[in-house]
Amino acid sequence: MTADKVAERLKKKLPVPYIEWLPEKVRRNVGKWVDRKYHGYGIIEHISASGDRIFTVKVGTPPNFRLSTDTLKRFVDIADTLGIGGIKITRNGNLEILTDSLDKALKIKEEVEKMGFPVGGWGPTLWSVNSCTAFLTCTTAVVDAPSITKVLYDHLKPYFTGEVKLPAKLRINVSGCPSACGGFTTDINIVGHYGDAPTYDPEKVKLCLPKSAKALEMGHVPEVAEVCPTGAIKVFGKPDGTVGLEVIRPKCIACGRCRDVCDWIDFDQSKAGVAILIGGKASNTGKGPLPSIQVIPWIPAIPPDYKEIVAVVKKIIDVWRENAREGERIGDWVARIGMEQFYKMLNIPVTKWNKPVALTGEFGIRQFGPI
Amino acid sequence: MEVKQQRPLTVEEWAAEGMELLKYYEKGPWPSHVSELKKTKYPIEAYAAGLAARKTMWAAGSAKIRYVYTGFIARRTRDGKISELHFRVWQPSGYLYTTEKLRKLIEFAEKYGLGLIELAGQQGMMIISVRPEVADEAVDYLRDVVGTDVGATGDTIREIAACVGPALCEYALYDTLEARDKFLTHPKIYEWMSNQLFPFKFKAKFSGCPFDCTRAVHRADFGFIGVWEGAPEVDQELLGKKIEAGEVDPEKLAANCPSGAITWDKEKKELRIDGTRCKKSMHCIRAAFPAIKPGKNRKIAIVVGGHVKGRFGGKMGKPLAVVNSVEEAMDWVVKTVESWMEHMEKGVVKHKDRIGDFIMKVGFKKYVNEILGLKEVGKSSLHPSLRAGAVLDDEERKMYAAWASKIVEEVFGGRA
Repeated sequence: MTADKVAERLKKKLPVPYIEWLPEKVRRNVGKWVDRKYHGYGIIEHISASGDRIFTVKVGTPPNFRLSTDTLKRFVDIADTLGIGGIKITRNGNLEILTDSLDKALKIKEEVEKMGFPVGGWGPTLWSVNSCTAFLTCTTAVVDAPSITKVLYDHLKPYFTGEVKLPAKLRINVSGCPSACGGFTTDINIVGHYGDAPTYDPEKVKLCLPKSAKALEMGHVPEVAEVCPTGAIKVFGKPDGTVGLEVIRPKCIACGRCRDVCDWIDFDQSKAGVAILIGGKASNTGKGPLPSIQVIPWIPAIPPDYKEIVAVVKKIIDVWRENAREGERIGDWVARIGMEQFYKMLNIPVTKWNKPVALTGEFGIRQFGPI
Repeated sequence: MEVKQQRPLTVEEWAAEGMELLKYYEKGPWPSHVSELKKTKYPIEAYAAGLAARKTMWAAGSAKIRYVYTGFIARRTRDGKISELHFRVWQPSGYLYTTEKLRKLIEFAEKYGLGLIELAGQQGMMIISVRPEVADEAVDYLRDVVGTDVGATGDTIREIAACVGPALCEYALYDTLEARDKFLTHPKIYEWMSNQLFPFKFKAKFSGCPFDCTRAVHRADFGFIGVWEGAPEVDQELLGKKIEAGEVDPEKLAANCPSGAITWDKEKKELRIDGTRCKKSMHCIRAAFPAIKPGKNRKIAIVVGGHVKGRFGGKMGKPLAVVNSVEEAMDWVVKTVESWMEHMEKGVVKHKDRIGDFIMKVGFKKYVNEILGLKEVGKSSLHPSLRAGAVLDDEERKMYAAWASKIVEEVFGGRA
């Protein structure tokens, strides 16, 4: 291959237009959908003006949405034999198998369940527990999100399938570190963190610092210090001409950004745990989009069963189920009763890390006023 | 002086304990990631060791692929013994695949990879582990045979998400899929996406309606959300039928409207919606569709500066404009990105400042008026910096641990 041909790689080959990736039956109904019906919590029927119908079966996937090609092939086979030759992947890594009759949809459900995969996740159910990769791949993870996700799913499966009803939609995110890859718009957000200021190996951390203090005199700020939002990382020239690093604990907020850019910033794993944030949502329903807020600064994360995390999540769901009105997501409910009331219900101790927050104003498109 | 012996952080040291721990996750009613991984060539010992040591074994690795400057991630374990390389792969708009295309991706993962696919990473792309020694060949196969490409990592145009939109949703108020296609192939965006020239990542999201399935309000530097002007459209006759059939309770519909915009005229059997009050919550539409539908005059609301990661914590998006098409906003996107890059050269924007951080630094008003040459519309709401974490002293840590123990007691009757 000539160099010129290889250089073409600089022009990305994008999967456009999307229409070419669509199964035939979807392709001819684009923009024609006029009605929908739910069949239980895991099957939706879409009705087209053309008279065509498509039934979508939503399948829950393993933590971090990782599938072996063996398993994925079996789903693809099902989509061919019982479906219309199409699969949709959701933003939360669920698999949706498309077909054209309710009978076939129910058959797909049966086949998928035989494989050990659950069907559900629409309406007032648990839509997904979204997990980052953590110890599977990530360099900054503090706790292992996939194993936490697995135990949560094992305990919460009836909420996904709809066997146990919830007041409204519920989404849970598990992130292994304060980068919180899953974002702040989930109902329950579980985020791993150090619970303390970082430590560092004085020798190895030098890999993240300039060799000579002269660089500092020239005005260079090493990235590990530059990324700190609170100025808690001090770098200084030592008398021997090398560069030293110090973490100023009272300034630190344990955000982990220094660790994102330097693998040799460390932490004491005996103090690692998770924070719980609640009330986030992106949808404009109810009180509109809301960010999730930290209500429990730290609880321990102890594998394999993570009992503390499971118990606290179950407790939050229980209290919500008992007290919310129909259709009220956690954020809508807490906004109505007030965060202090929520703290009282769970008897949560308050420190400066979880002071109740009253959000004023609305978010998302509501900021435009009436459109 | 007492010397505390620390076990070395190597896969060898911890793998045996870890593999025992992993058995726990092969049980239980939910599909297991461990069982799936064991069917592949993924180096599960590295995962197992991390779990046992309670520390990730992975550190940054390196790889070079000719003329590919973004889209793959290299890792190695801290002991240097295991390496991993994975491709982020561009998904088609809406993430809807024919089985034929999926089979090609599966073939790809088996031929060049570990037989492992992560359906959608946190950034939205499909992630396929690749064997480093065949990575170069793999790129060509992905481009020429599958018809997609290595995606994006680092400081560039990242995954641009669109909801399923008109392909499979009744609520789509504009063609989100076409919008994403056009966005990705816009000359400037297309040029930028192959290199890493930005201060940090850039994301856009296209949601067809106010349900905002792509979470454009928070997870996008530019979020495009389908809306309509005024009140939803009511088909009184069809609504009457739904009411008679007991499918819709009009009193409840009016009482539960989050905007307080609905009145039910019992006498005339007529439902009225005040368009000047409607906040587009989708409540009545969801309950009575298709008797109540979004209004006919459709628009796209743009929010700007939302993000999760960023130096000063996560942010919700701010209101920028309501437009008729995504094209109208493309100049603003380009201007914003160029200005963001210029401000890094000036030292105002630092490496790893998102567009939201940049707007915060220059001021929203100045950004809208001077950088974009627009007038502000609406009013952006304030919120505290979105973050998680705490620096606790020993007493506080004990207090929260004791509280958690009490909850464990309540829910499970104890830890055992």
